[in-house]
Order: sequence, then C-alpha cells, then structure tokens
Amino acid sequence: MKTLSSLKVLVVEDEALVSMLVEDMLTDLGCAIVGPAAEIEEALRLAGSAEIDAALLDVNLGGRPIFPVADALKARGVPFAFASGYGEAGLTEDHRGATVLQKPFREADLRRVLESLVGQTA
Amino acid sequence: MAKLAETDIREDEETALRARLTDLEAALADEIRKSQTLARVIEAVASSTDVDTCVQVVIDGAREISGAAYGAFFYNVVDPNGESYTLYRLSGAPPEAFEGFPMPRKTEVFAPTFDGTGVVRSDDITRDPRYGRNAPRRGMPGDHLPVRSYLAIPVANRRGEMLGGLFFGHPEPGKFSARDETLMVGLGAQVAATVDLIRLSTGALTELEHRRKAEERLKFALDSGRMGSWDLDVATKAYEASDLCKVNYGRRPDETFTFADLIAAIHPEDRPRILAAIEAAIREGADYDVEYRVVHPNGELRWLHARGRAAQTADDGGVRRLAGVSLDITERKRAEERQKLLVNELNHRVKNSLATVQSIAAQTLRSVAAPEFFRDAFETRLIALSQTHDLLTRESWAGASLREVFDVELHAMAGEDRVVFDYDADVRLNPKAAVALGMGIHELATNAVKYGALSVPDGRVAVTWSVEDGVLRLIWTERGGPPVTPPARRGFGARLLERGLAAELSGGVELTYDATGLICEMALPVRALEP
Repeated sequence: MKTLSSLKVLVVEDEALVSMLVEDMLTDLGCAIVGPAAEIEEALRLAGSAEIDAALLDVNLGGRPIFPVADALKARGVPFAFASGYGEAGLTEDHRGATVLQKPFREADLRRVLESLVGQTA
Repeated sequence: MAKLAETDIREDEETALRARLTDLEAALADEIRKSQTLARVIEAVASSTDVDTCVQVVIDGAREISGAAYGAFFYNVVDPNGESYTLYRLSGAPPEAFEGFPMPRKTEVFAPTFDGTGVVRSDDITRDPRYGRNAPRRGMPGDHLPVRSYLAIPVANRRGEMLGGLFFGHPEPGKFSARDETLMVGLGAQVAATVDLIRLSTGALTELEHRRKAEERLKFALDSGRMGSWDLDVATKAYEASDLCKVNYGRRPDETFTFADLIAAIHPEDRPRILAAIEAAIREGADYDVEYRVVHPNGELRWLHARGRAAQTADDGGVRRLAGVSLDITERKRAEERQKLLVNELNHRVKNSLATVQSIAAQTLRSVAAPEFFRDAFETRLIALSQTHDLLTRESWAGASLREVFDVELHAMAGEDRVVFDYDADVRLNPKAAVALGMGIHELATNAVKYGALSVPDGRVAVTWSVEDGVLRLIWTERGGPPVTPPARRGFGARLLERGLAAELSGGVELTYDATGLICEMALPVRALEP
C-alpha cells in the first residue's frame, strides 16, 4: 500500500479559506498539491493532463457542478473523493456511492479518505 | 154585472200575475247578476297568486252577491318561526272600524266558524241567544259596526285544516237568504282551495330558491377555490366534469372530456398508481385522495390533487358513483420544490461557513506569536466574516457592492475617516466574491491599524479602483505611517490575499512593502465578481 508521502493530490475548491485549510492539511500529511483550482476550466485542464495520484473535489464550483471533472478523472482511472456540504444528496445518479467527505472535516478524516482512495488503486 | 165582475176578477188576476212575473223577472235578473258575479269572482280567485289578493277579491265579490253591508275574512297565518297569528281583510267598512279591535275570540258566536263546526246565519244576531253572553264586551266592542243580519262561514281545506272564516253583516235584519248561504259556502270552498294552492306553490318556490342559492354557494366556493368537481358512474364509466375540472386537464369548458380522456391525460408514471386508487375507492368504498401529474394537450405538465368519495351505494353493497373535486396544485408543488432546494442550499452554505470558520481558526492559531493572542485575532476575523454575511442578508444574498463591503469592514475601525476613496463607478459583487473580498479588506485594515498608516494620527489610506477591459484594478495605498519593512514570514493576511483571494477570484493580488507605506494591488476579472 502506497503511503501518503509525496502523493500528488489535485485540489479543486473555490473558497479561498477552505482551500487554504485543505492545502495545510495535505502539506501536513506530506502530500504534494496539484492546483488548487477554483474554476472548472482550470480543474478540467489539470484533471486531463497533470500527473495526479488522487483528487479532492468540491461539488459546487461557484454554482457550477463539478461532475465533468469527476468524469474526466474516472476516465483516467484517477481515484477521487467529493468534499461537500450537501453530503451524498448533492451527487448525481452516476456518482452515487462515490466517497464523500462531509464539510467540515478533520485532518484525520482526510487522511483516512486518501488512504482508502490510494488503496483502491494499489 | 156578473160579466163585469168576471172581467174585474180577470183584471185583478192579471195584475197579480203581471206583478208576480215582474217579481220573478227581477228575481231572475238578480240571480243572473249573482251568478255572473260569482263566475267573475271564482275566476279572479282562481287566478290570484297571493293570499291577500285572493281574499280581497272574495270578500268584495261576496258582499256584492249577498248584498251585505260589511264583509271580512279572518285568516290564520304561520310565520317563519312557527308562530300562528290572524290577519284580516275588510270590505264595505273602513279599516278604522277595526282598529283597536281585538282579534275575534272564540266566543259562543264565533266558535262554530273558527272551529269549523258549521255556518251561522241569523236574520238578527242581536236576538241570538249566543250573542253577547261574554262579559265584559258582550261579544263585540261597544262602538263596533251595527250588525243585525249575520252570516259566518268557516273556511277549511280538503284536509280539514282551518284556514279562517268569512263574515258578513248588515245593519238591517233578514238580509241573508238560504240561497246566499249556499253561494257563500261554495265561495268559501273555492277560497280554501286557492289559498291552499298558493301556499303549496309558494312553499315549492321557496324550497326551489333555497336549493338554487345552496347550489350557487357551492359553485362559488368551488370556483373561488379553483376547484373542479367531477362524478363517475362506476358501472358505465360515464364521467361528468365541471368547467373548472376540464380546465384542470387543459380542456375548454365546451370540449367533451370522457373517463378515457382523463386516464390518458395522467402522466404515464403516475397512471398505474391512480388507477389502483380508483379501484380501491370503488372496491372498498374508501376515500379517494391522490396527487398526480397530468399532461395538457399543449404538452404542459401540471400537478393535480383529486379527492373523492363513494357517493352512492348499490343494493348489493357495491359503489355506484364516485364523486369529488380536483385542484391544480402546480404552484404548491413548485414552491415545495423551491423550498427543498433552499433547504439544501442553506445546509450547503452552513457547512461551507463552518469549514471557513475551521480554516480561520486553524490558520489564526498557526500565525499568532503566542496562544494568548489567538482569541482576539480569531474573534475579529469571525466578526469580519459575520459582517459581510449581514450585508448580504440585507440584500437577500443577491450580492453587494464593493464600496458597501469596504464600509462594513472599515466600520468602527480606528481611522475609518482617514480612508479616502477614488473611483468612477461602484462594482457589484456576487456573494462569494463579497465574502472573499470582505476577508481580504479586513486583513488589510487590521494590519494598517496595528502596524501601518492607521497606527499613527497622520497616516492616510487611499483606495482607488477602475474597470478596464473586464478587469477590476484596485489599489490600496498607505501613506504617512511608520517606515515599512517586509515581514520575515508571510502571515495569514498576506497568504489569504496573495494566494487565496487571487485563486478564488481567478486574478492576481500583489503586496508591495514600500518603505513609505504598504501597497496592495489587485487585478480581478469582472466575470468572477459579477452576481
């Protein structure tokens, strides 16, 4: 099983303060941050081409749903989790059953989710 | 002489015969006149439509026929409260003659008439043994009309119910004959039949009016509630729909709308459920209460609420009819949908706000020199966030203007009046941009008050902005404060402005630690700011 150390994690989050918190947590966990992306276009670009081991996706990006980014990651086989205030209720049919990190979350929750995501591909 | 005598006798007989003939002719003329009057009266009675007119026609006619000086009809009336009272109509006497006259009581003279036991006819009532035996008025008031000839006829309908009495009088004795009595009795029967008929038809009309009004009220209630009503014959599936019911299905009132049309109009996904509900209501006589979607002929989708009940049961115990109402509830359904979305959105915002607060706490803790400074720094940031929320709430979270955000964050801060603005036009911000900029401005202002231009009396801050090529260029310039040196490490404020705000608003934010004062330059695309 991979460790989280130097794991490349794409962060898609449109709120500065929340994004900063996630970055700090990931840094503490020893991960390398890809992004953060606050806009769909930037997130899609990174999801399609950047070197990524896992991704943490805010469900709602300034009123626009994140699902195209999730689809792109799915197509590439990159594991991801949604971070959302909506819980699983905010997900589309295609993504029911995906890992959801309910906001607000602790660093330990993030670690657990990332470990399980990496475990899926191991 | 004998011849002469014979002639005389013949002449006498002839004279007598002529006199008798004249009398008979007069009597016949009188009888014809009475018959004609009677025919006219009967016709008038039969064609009268209210009791008062009928009664007046009768007593006028009867007086004419009988030659009575006075005529009166006393009749019983039952008011809507069930109280019985007596009214009267007069002929040949002014109403004053009866003013103050109490209603006739069942004295011995009047009793046979009011009880319906028989006709009283007297050539001179003052000589009648029954007359005036009742003290103190002796049957009639002292100033009452002078009556000697007296004829009183009870008036009852065929069921034997007493309707009243006809009374006739004349100041001279012997005025009423047996023939008059017969005619008056016939007239009385005619009056009874007509009064009965009038009362019956008045009752029927009243009942009809009641029903019409009740139906009108029901229709009004249904119409004002936008409710359609419907009725289904269970056996034949014959379906009757009111105008509004048809409208609920997108039909015009003049269009035919059958049970098959109704089933076809129900949304295919809801149809099996509704058919099952109808079946259950028919089978078990249960209440029918369903909400479902219908597709109007123009393709429009509407929500209906229908309620019904088994309206009639067949002899075998089965339901014969199902009847009820239908109501268009599309607006309510949409409101429920909006409410659900709003609650979800609210939950999302609250959770995001909690994550934001979590972030502020974590980063404040990281950046303070010692734990004892945490509380003040954390609380002022929390209040800054709360103030932007207040501003947005005042505008229903539709957005806020850049100047408003500056004003709430600078409000009550030392040196608030030493911040000078210069811009051509204010800029509208969406809620997210307002919250982000609010936090950024708070960090700039707090820093200025603690370490920068606003920490000394003569310091000034200039805020200028303009929009060019879709980009907002904003410059915060501090002058007159203590000399500025770049910080050893980047604090929370600097990180929030240069990294966080810049990323969130897809632009650039640069802090310049100019010796004469801090300068913060922002270049933010308007598309990321607009509501």
